[in-house]
Amino acid sequence: MSDRLADMRHIRFLLYEIFDVESLTQYEHFADHSKETFEMALETGYKLAREVFWPAYQPFDREGIHFKDGHVTTPAGMKEIWKQCKEGGWFAPGADYDYGGQQFPHLLTATTSYLFNCANTSAYMYVGSAAGAALLIEKYGTDEQKAEYLEKLYSGTWGGTMCLTEPQAGSSLGDITTTAVPENGHFKIRGVKRFISSGDHDLAENIVHPVLAKLPGAPPGVKGISLFLVPKYRLDGTYNDVATAGVEHKLGLRAQATATLNFGEKDDCHGWLLGAENRGLECMFALMNGARIHTGIQAVAGASAAYQCALQYTQERLQGRSVSSKDPSAEQAAIIKHPDVRRMLLHQKAFVEGNLSLLLFTAKLSDIRHASTDEAEQQRAHLLLEILTPIAKAHCSDGAFESIRLALQCYGGAGFCEEFPVAQMLRDNKVYSIYEGTNGIQAMDLLGRKVPMNGGEALRALIQEISETIDAARKLEPLKEMAQSVEDIQNTVAEVTMHLGAIGMSGDREMYICNASDYLDMFSAMVIGWQHLQMATAAQKALDAGSDDKDFYTGVVKTASYYCRRSIPKALAIATILKSNERTALDYEEAWF
Amino acid sequence: MKIAVLIKRVPDTASVFAINPDQKSVATDKLKFVMSPYDEHAVEEAIKLKEANGADVVVVSLGPDSAKEVMRTALAMGADEGLLVTGAGTDSLTSKGVAEALAAAVKSIGAELVFAGKQAVDDDASQVAERVAELLEMAHASVVTKFELNGGTAVVNREIEGGSYTLELPLPAVITIEKGINTPRYPTLPNIMKAKKKPIAEKSLADLGLSAEALAPGVVLESLSLPRQNRRNHIIDGDTPARVNELIRLLKEEEKAL
Ligand SMILES: Cc1cc2nc3c(=O)[nH]c(=O)nc-3n(C[C@H](O)[C@H](O)[C@H](O)COP(=O)(O)OP(=O)(O)OC[C@H]3O[C@@H](n4cnc5c(N)ncnc54)[C@H](O)[C@@H]3O)c2cc1C
Repeated sequence: MSDRLADMRHIRFLLYEIFDVESLTQYEHFADHSKETFEMALETGYKLAREVFWPAYQPFDREGIHFKDGHVTTPAGMKEIWKQCKEGGWFAPGADYDYGGQQFPHLLTATTSYLFNCANTSAYMYVGSAAGAALLIEKYGTDEQKAEYLEKLYSGTWGGTMCLTEPQAGSSLGDITTTAVPENGHFKIRGVKRFISSGDHDLAENIVHPVLAKLPGAPPGVKGISLFLVPKYRLDGTYNDVATAGVEHKLGLRAQATATLNFGEKDDCHGWLLGAENRGLECMFALMNGARIHTGIQAVAGASAAYQCALQYTQERLQGRSVSSKDPSAEQAAIIKHPDVRRMLLHQKAFVEGNLSLLLFTAKLSDIRHASTDEAEQQRAHLLLEILTPIAKAHCSDGAFESIRLALQCYGGAGFCEEFPVAQMLRDNKVYSIYEGTNGIQAMDLLGRKVPMNGGEALRALIQEISETIDAARKLEPLKEMAQSVEDIQNTVAEVTMHLGAIGMSGDREMYICNASDYLDMFSAMVIGWQHLQMATAAQKALDAGSDDKDFYTGVVKTASYYCRRSIPKALAIATILKSNERTALDYEEAWF
Repeated sequence: MKIAVLIKRVPDTASVFAINPDQKSVATDKLKFVMSPYDEHAVEEAIKLKEANGADVVVVSLGPDSAKEVMRTALAMGADEGLLVTGAGTDSLTSKGVAEALAAAVKSIGAELVFAGKQAVDDDASQVAERVAELLEMAHASVVTKFELNGGTAVVNREIEGGSYTLELPLPAVITIEKGINTPRYPTLPNIMKAKKKPIAEKSLADLGLSAEALAPGVVLESLSLPRQNRRNHIIDGDTPARVNELIRLLKEEEKAL
C-alpha cells in the first residue's frame, strides 16, 4: 500500500502561500499560535494518520462492526485509535482553552481532519461525532449544560452523535414524529432514529445524543422541531432507556456503527432542551453547515488517497508500449506513459487540488467569521460561506466519486479486486453524496435559497471575489488564457442565473427548481476554476521570482490550465441545457416509466 | 537528576536524495528533515524515566538553526529544555569534532545520564555518543534494549548476536538506544502549545571554550555517490511451500542474501 496519502507540499502551499494561515494569528483568539505550532500539529497529524489510522483501513473494512445483545463492538484496534486521539488532544484541537482545547484555527484543524480522513474515515468519524455534539452544546447550552458535558466530550471521555433522521423522515425533517413531553425539569423522549453515525460503540463511558423531537402541540413542519440532549446514561449514571435496535450492513464505511436507536422504549428516556423551544432545526444547522463542509473534506480526502495509490501503481505497472513504438520485443512501458492514463491522473490531481483549495478557503472564512471583530469582514465571510456550502458538500462528493472511479480504472482488473485499497475507497466514498442532506437537496439549497438570498447578496460577494482573482491573474502573461476561461464561465453563470430567475419570478417554481442539479454542476466549475486560477497565480509568481521548486509550481500552473481547458468548456455546455427550458422530467407522466 | 538526550536533525530516509555537482555534499533543498529515528527512542526513554523518578530532560543538538524544529518535537514529547550548539564552524565537523562540542555542552549542563540513538541514520557512524563517553570519562553501554535505574546504578540489556546480555553501569553514564526498547509517543496538542514556551538555549563553539580550528576534521571527504539502483521483479509461482523453498533458494543462491 502506498504510504503517501496526501501531497503535503501542496497542502503547505495552500496553507502558507494561498490562505496565509499565519495571518490568522493577528486575531486575539489565535494569538498564541505561530508557524511552529501549525507545523508540529500538521506533522503529528500526518504521522498519526499514516501510522495509526491507515494500517487499520482495510482490516476494519474486513472485520466490520459487531452487534450482539443490543451492543456494538468496534473492530479490533479501534480502541487504540480512540486512545491515541484522546491522549493527543485530537477531540478538541480547535476548542477554547476553557474547555480543554488548544484554539487552533479551523483552517489548520480542517487540514488535520483531512489527513485523518485520507487514512480512515470510519475510524475518525467516531472522534468527530463527539466533537460535533460538543459544538452544539458550546453554542446553545446553558452554563450548567456546558459544565456537565463539554469537558467530557472534548476530552474523549464520552462519545457523541447527531440524531435527525427517522425511518419516515430523512430529507424531509419536518415530518419527524419523535416526541418530547415535559416532566419535572426534563422531557420524556420517545421515538426511533435511524442511520445514526457512531450511534453505539464500546469506546467511551457514555454517548451524548443531540435529538430532534417535537413538543406537544408544536406547529407542524420544521417550525415545530426542538433540540434535546439525550445521554445514553444520565449524569447520575442510571441507564437512560436509549436502546440500540440494530446496525446497518453497508456498501462502505463498514467500521462505522450506523445505528437505529429506540428512545424511550420503556418510557423512561429523559432529555434536556438545548436552545429555545421550536428552534431546534435552526440550532442543528449550526452543526449541519459545518458538517456539510466536513462531508466535502471526507470526500476529497478519499479521492486524495485513491489518487496517490493510483499514481504509485501507474508508475510501477508495466503494460504495452508507446503508440509510436514499432518494436514488439521492446521492454514494456510503465502505464503512466500512456496518454489516456495521464489524462485520468490529471483529472484526479485537478479535482483534489481544486476542491481542497475550496474546502480550506471555507475553513478560513469560518475562522474569520468566528475571530474577526470587524463587522463588514465577518459579514462578507458569512455570505461567502452560505453560498459555498452546498458546493463544498455536493460538488466535492460527486466529484470525488468520479475521481476515485478513475483511480480504480488506472488499476485495470486489479482495481476491481479488494487486494488493493482502491475498491474500498470507491465504496466508502459513495455515502458522501447522500448524508448531511442529499446532493439533490444541496442543489435546491443553492438555487432555491442561497442564490436568491437577500436579493442575490451572497452571489454578488462571490462574483466580486472571483473578479479580483481574474484581474490579478490577467497581469501575468502566461495566465491570460486561463483568466479568460474563468471569466467566461462567470459570465455564463450570471446569464443563466438571470434566465432561471425570470422563470422563478414568473411563478413556475417546479420549472425553476428542476434545473437545480445541473445549475450546481455549472456553478461548481466556476468556483473550482477560480480556485485553480488563484493557485496558478501564486505559482506563476513563484516561478517568475526564480523559485528552485520548479516542478512543483509548474505542476500547479499546468494542472490549473488542464482544468480550465478540459472542465470549464464542459460546464459551459450545461448552460445550453439550462437556457433551453427543457422540462421533460416535469411533464413525463408516471405511467410512462 | 539531569538527563541529556543527544538528538540529531537528519533527512527523512524516505526523501529523494540527490548529490550536488561537486560530489561532496547532498542537495538539501528538496529534503524533508526529521529527528533521527533512534533518537526518538532515546527521548522517549528519558521521558519515561522522568515520569517514573522525576528528572530534568535537556535535549542537546548540534546543527543549524533549523535543528530547533526537531528539538521542539522532543519538547512536545515532554522534554523540558533544549541546548543547541550552532554557529561558525559547526557545519563542517566530523564525528570527532561533533563529539567534542557535545561533550562540552553536556558538561556545561551537568548531566548525570546521557541518552542517544545508537546511530544517526544519515551517516551511520555510531561514533558520537561513544566519543562523548570517552571524553567525559563516563561509563558507556551501546545498542541498549532495556534500561532500569537501580539507585546510582544503571542496569541495561544489550542485544548481541543470538541473545542479549545484562550490564551494570555506575552513573554518570552514556547509553545508546536501540529501537525495540520502547514506542516513542506522539507529541500531544497541549504539549505542542507548551513546547513553544520551553527554552532552547544556543551556544557557539567559543561559548563552550572550543575553536573551529581545533575541531577541524582530520579526514578529507573524497566524494559521495548514490547506491546503484538495480530493481528487478521476480514473481514466484506454485503453492505456498514450493514458493517458500524457491524464495529461500533465490535469496541464497542468486542474491547471496542469506
Ligand atoms: C452511512 C450513513 C450515516 C448517516 N448518519 C446520520 C447521522 O449520524 N444522523 C442522522 O440524523 N442521519 C444520518 N444519516 C441519514 C442521512 O442523512 C439520510 O439518509 C439522508 O438525509 C437522506 O434521507 P433518506 O435516506 O430518508 O432519503 P430520502 O429522503 O428518502 O431520499 C431519497 C431520494 O429522494 C430525493 N428527495 C427526497 N426529498 C426530495 C425533495 N423534496 N426534492 C427532491 N428530491 C428529494 C433525495 O435526494 C434522494 O435522492 C446517515 C445515512 C447514512 C447512509
